[in-house]
Amino acid sequence: MEKKEIVRFSHVTKRYPGTLANDDVSLSVQRGEVFALVGENGAGKSTLMNLLYGMQPVTMGEIFIDGEKIGPQHCPEKAMEMGVSMVHQHFKLVPSFTVAQNILLGHEPKKKLSYDFQAVRDAVRKLSETYGLYVNPDDVTGELSVGLQQRVEILKALRTGAKVLILDEPTAVLTPQETDDLFRVIRRIVEEQGMTVILITHRLPEVMQVSDRVGVMKRGRLVKVMETAQTSEREIASLMVGRDVIFDELRQQHELGEEKLRVEELCALNDRMLPALRQVSLSVHAGEIVGVCGVEGNGQTELAECIMGMRPQTGGRVLLCGEDVSRKTPGEIRSRGVSFIPEDRMTTGVDGKASVAENLLVGKQHRPEFSLLGGLHLRRHRVKQYAAEQAEKFDIRMASVDDPVSSLSGGNMQKVVIAREFSFDSPVLVISQPTRGVDIGAIEFIHERIMQKRNEGCAILLISADLDELFRLSDRLVTLYEGQITGSFQTEAITREEIGYYMTGGGKDELAENAAKEEMRHG
Amino acid sequence: MSEIFNVLLLQNTLRTATPVVLAALGCLMTQHVNITNIGIDGMMLIGAFFAVLGSYYCGSWAAGLAFAIVFGVILGLLYYVLVIRFHSDEFIIGVALNIFAGGLTTFLLRTIFQVKGSFSDPRIAPLPTIVIPGLKDIPVLGHLLSGNTLLVYVSWLLVPLCWYLIYKTPWGFHLRASGEYPDALEASGRSPERMKLSASVLCGVLSCMAGAHLSLGYLTMFSENMSASRGYVAFACVIFGRGNPPVVFLAALLFGFIEALGLRLQKYVPSDLTGMAPYLVTVLMMVAVVLWEQKKKGKVAKG
Amino acid sequence: MGNSFFQSIRALFRLKPAQKLNRDYLISLLCAVLLAFLVGAGIMLLCGFDPIQCYGALFEGALGKPRAIGNTLAKAMTLALCGLAMSVAAKAGIFNVGGEGQLFMGALAAAVVGAQVKGAPAWVVVILALLASLLAGGLYAWVPGAMKVYWKVDEVITTIMLNSVATFFCSYMANGPLKTTEKGIASGTASIMKEAGFAKLIPLSNLTTAILFAAAAALFTWYLMTRSSVGFEMKLTGDNDRFAAYGGISAKKLMLWSMVLSGAICGLTGMLEVFGLHKRFMTTLSNEFYFDGMLVAMIMRYQPFGVILMSLFFAVLNIGSRSMELSAGISSEVILIVQSIIIFFMAAEGGIRTALQNRSAIRKARREAKAKEAGV
Repeated sequence: MEKKEIVRFSHVTKRYPGTLANDDVSLSVQRGEVFALVGENGAGKSTLMNLLYGMQPVTMGEIFIDGEKIGPQHCPEKAMEMGVSMVHQHFKLVPSFTVAQNILLGHEPKKKLSYDFQAVRDAVRKLSETYGLYVNPDDVTGELSVGLQQRVEILKALRTGAKVLILDEPTAVLTPQETDDLFRVIRRIVEEQGMTVILITHRLPEVMQVSDRVGVMKRGRLVKVMETAQTSEREIASLMVGRDVIFDELRQQHELGEEKLRVEELCALNDRMLPALRQVSLSVHAGEIVGVCGVEGNGQTELAECIMGMRPQTGGRVLLCGEDVSRKTPGEIRSRGVSFIPEDRMTTGVDGKASVAENLLVGKQHRPEFSLLGGLHLRRHRVKQYAAEQAEKFDIRMASVDDPVSSLSGGNMQKVVIAREFSFDSPVLVISQPTRGVDIGAIEFIHERIMQKRNEGCAILLISADLDELFRLSDRLVTLYEGQITGSFQTEAITREEIGYYMTGGGKDELAENAAKEEMRHG
Repeated sequence: MSEIFNVLLLQNTLRTATPVVLAALGCLMTQHVNITNIGIDGMMLIGAFFAVLGSYYCGSWAAGLAFAIVFGVILGLLYYVLVIRFHSDEFIIGVALNIFAGGLTTFLLRTIFQVKGSFSDPRIAPLPTIVIPGLKDIPVLGHLLSGNTLLVYVSWLLVPLCWYLIYKTPWGFHLRASGEYPDALEASGRSPERMKLSASVLCGVLSCMAGAHLSLGYLTMFSENMSASRGYVAFACVIFGRGNPPVVFLAALLFGFIEALGLRLQKYVPSDLTGMAPYLVTVLMMVAVVLWEQKKKGKVAKG
Repeated sequence: MGNSFFQSIRALFRLKPAQKLNRDYLISLLCAVLLAFLVGAGIMLLCGFDPIQCYGALFEGALGKPRAIGNTLAKAMTLALCGLAMSVAAKAGIFNVGGEGQLFMGALAAAVVGAQVKGAPAWVVVILALLASLLAGGLYAWVPGAMKVYWKVDEVITTIMLNSVATFFCSYMANGPLKTTEKGIASGTASIMKEAGFAKLIPLSNLTTAILFAAAAALFTWYLMTRSSVGFEMKLTGDNDRFAAYGGISAKKLMLWSMVLSGAICGLTGMLEVFGLHKRFMTTLSNEFYFDGMLVAMIMRYQPFGVILMSLFFAVLNIGSRSMELSAGISSEVILIVQSIIIFFMAAEGGIRTALQNRSAIRKARREAKAKEAGV
């Protein structure tokens, strides 16, 4: 008779210099269950799993896998030998290799000295059948959708005959359809193969949908372990954050102004030179926030970049207060009164190596108050003074304005971006993922600022992956699916469920029908 | 015309291309593990010097070649330690390696052989010329394929061998994975660093062999700075051939052809102008490749 | 294979200018210099020379006499200008390895103007030659710069190749169409107008009034890079070109202009060599001066002031090594080896530092564990 318990953490503590990532965690995971580990960012759930998988050494306490205590030399290879596999958030796949080559990387069958292509293919086909996870072994991995890549990762993890599979935020990058597929797969390997799955997540509906038990972590401690059937999303949420996460209503009705930003039948390609936007049309009026909903990767990034002139468009046009700015550079578009908060702070929003002051200055370095002789002299004391004022105004916490921006926390870095972009007093704002990776206090602050801008009469295009944020701030919502607008709604007139339907392509047939009707009318 | 375009031209093409081929094979090893090694030129120079040294003191070409290979291993290890272990900027290391090689070889030339500029001596044993009995009597081809020095044949064998190693063996898969996505290889329990180590060492060995061919095969002497930017040309060939040995080989042949043609045109055109040709062609080649790539990408996008 | 291969190459060439010079870095630099000198001493001992005598001769030769100091300063001027040229471009994220070619082109253009413009006052000739050299160097840098910016052709390889093209081209001109009629000049153009040449500041040395021009150029570059709005934009472009473009800076234009400026500085260096030293274009004008300057710039992390200081030190080594060869008898190339060892150490500085820190941390942990055991 096998023991019921497969993984046990006993008073596990993990200390990093300066922080306590896991504080005296004791937890037991049973064979053949889906265990969900939930918590906010930085609650210590990933750290705990990294300890189990041997990515980090334990500071204090003991971990047992199938009754066997892990040693001080624990590492991922050892963990795999003991039957623990992990699928990371970032896939570890070589893009140019085929699916089969990736799954068997490092363990290739040989024919004499050569790589045995046929044996690799067969092995993967067999593996794929065993677990009911279908993949084409000959597809080039880099060309697959994210969902399929994840499936390849899972197969790779299962290849060693794992008993415990750890999934780190597996649904963060998936469409709802792909998420459902994944959950089917999880239930299947648990029920048919007797696997144990540990799921790290912060999406509560998913926890309710797929897990048997749930453990809630908060600030490094395991707060509570419950049977999923006997709890509710609300209870878990309040355990996670320690207070009710529901924000107060911010929006008040007010008059719309004239149309400021108009996008007409915009088309563009993504970085892989595939169509990302297909004839997107929308308009934003003064004093209005238009929220763009959609699962990530459906053209949001390209839409914002096209409007800002950072990506060449292949069709359509962008009008700014009636002026066509389609072929203009970002500098020219900015000078016509558009500001942009990009989704990726680190690569686009700031120059990490430059100081806070320098980052706040960007865009104003040629203004007479900061420069003399047509840019030949930069008035550095004025820059510092200005930066200090802005930091005060936006509550940016740092040691000095000369510190590199990269030394700031995510929230403060985002405040630097917002302070800079809001300081131009542009009539049009394009805001992308304003609160991603930002702590709750800062989220509130940022939301208030955005609302204030709207009330001052700015036209705001808000792109976010966070539906709560969109519903909280937007006057109007549009849904973007595979580069097409599938619907446009007044926020009060629609529910989350309906939006979800349109976000996942639900409205697409309708759209095609309308287009066909249109054509008939013209034809 | 026949004075210029004849069998001798093709023969010279092969002769001048060989050092570039060998160096390019070395360079593409590091390129596949995502190290941009522009120190190839210096490695060649050091290889050339030590090949002469070994050959001169032991009186045998084999010793010269062995010396070059040993120093190739040392250079590869040095390169690995600096670039991978200590995470140095490979660009700086590459340039510094070239300067170091220039200084070291000139210094040793003056200290050991007490000469300036170049050193040639009857006691330097050149690489053997290999005559292939059946082939040498065929007209035209016989001239081309037979009677070349050892390393020419070695380079011809190495091209398919490298291709096989890189694309058809597990080792090659690990090599490419460690360049393209080292985390993937690491996750499978293999060390990308070790792959980078072997690539560095192979690169050192192949570059030094290229140098040995320069000083014992192509010429039988060592002169200061005799690699003459061939390392950079090899690098350009690797980029041109996208790291695929047969294509890289063709690129190197093209370079050799232009250089050989230039040499033969010297009667009619000043040598300085013909000397420019290979470098200009390399630049044009790079522009052509990039523009062609972009066009292809554009087509994919439209289609 | 495929795109990722090309991307990896591109990513590599977009080397980001390193962080600022800080105290730790300067201490490492000192250690590297000392270590390199020790290695050099080892080589000298191996070859049967007395290191103390050799190094003595080195510094004596570089700083002992006014004439020697003049030569050292003249050398430092060349190095510093080349280093600054590299820094200007690198700061904006584009790598000009082709300075040697631009220097030759500038020198040739200046020599032609200096020899051909007749009947004008000397100062006009100097100014015309100056403009010609700036133009020639700038244009020759514009070509790879434009190819990089508009077509995304890697500038590192193209500039290296264009070096060879330029040296061959100039050699052709100096041996062919523009060859001087004077006897005894192997390969060189006609000499420039006599009055237009720069006067010597220290008799018998290489130091001429050219250094005033160099100082002005260096000052301008320093000011531009560290104190101006344009320099600020350059820095942003070099740090993160995506961010710069997002911030409304036309990164492409800026990169291209930095490249042109870099080429112009190289051209100027060539002109100063011609008008200061040789009074004509010669094919032996520069012996890979630019590469030395480039390395100085790299180890000083493209900080203009540091580049100038380091150039002085490298000039001392360079000038001193020649008289060391004469008086102590050891081949001067030993100093090249010492220099490259300094560079190896400095390039590996970060890595070596972490390795040492890790080692001491491990040792400390072991010691503590032992102490604990002993205590129990």
